[in-house]
Amino acid sequence: MTDFARLLTTLVDAGVEFVIIGGFAATAHGSAHVTVDLDVVYRRTLDNMTRLATALAPLAPYLRGAPVGLPFRFDVETIKRGLNFTLVTSAGDLDVLGEATGGGTYEALLPRSEVRALLGLECRFVDLQTLIHLKRAAGRPKDLERIAELEALQQERLSNDE
Amino acid sequence: MLQLGSALIPVSLDPCPEIEAYKKDVDRTLLRENLKLTTAERVEKMISVLRFAEEVRRSGKKVDAR
Repeated sequence: MTDFARLLTTLVDAGVEFVIIGGFAATAHGSAHVTVDLDVVYRRTLDNMTRLATALAPLAPYLRGAPVGLPFRFDVETIKRGLNFTLVTSAGDLDVLGEATGGGTYEALLPRSEVRALLGLECRFVDLQTLIHLKRAAGRPKDLERIAELEALQQERLSNDE
Repeated sequence: MLQLGSALIPVSLDPCPEIEAYKKDVDRTLLRENLKLTTAERVEKMISVLRFAEEVRRSGKKVDAR
């Protein structure tokens, strides 16, 4: 089972700049669905990619679903040459994305994010409206039910505010 | 290194028939209860459900192994 607290503590303590998206962000906004991995969009600066690689090294990140023994090092050179990585770590499944579908880079998401406190940490989450935008942009049939719930959540929030 | 944009790609947020169909089945009572919680409480609740599911999976494996 994914140890969300350990993954987030690892990233936050290392000063990695990231925005949480996906199912974990949906949970933070009030979704009743359960998620088994953590999805984050990281800032693609050299400093931040170095912090990301260094922070995750003790968690032995490896490509999820890749054959055992495949030569893979999650270091700054690998991150520079790639963009989105679906990883399995000793703390669970972690997706580190340079860009989420729909143009969701760190720079694009930053003004559409909010800091929330959890697990003794301050973490940045994409806002609900943008989460819906990203899910719609992904256009995956499996997301339709999730989008319906997120939009219902948005309606409930609006009716609470009235 | 890849150069990335800093803007979201425009996406239609108009009502979509498939999404509207799913929306009818959303259990809004669960959402209303969750909205009363703090972010930390929502996450803790989700993790406790995950733990329970993991426990059920483990016990199922034990039964299968017999």
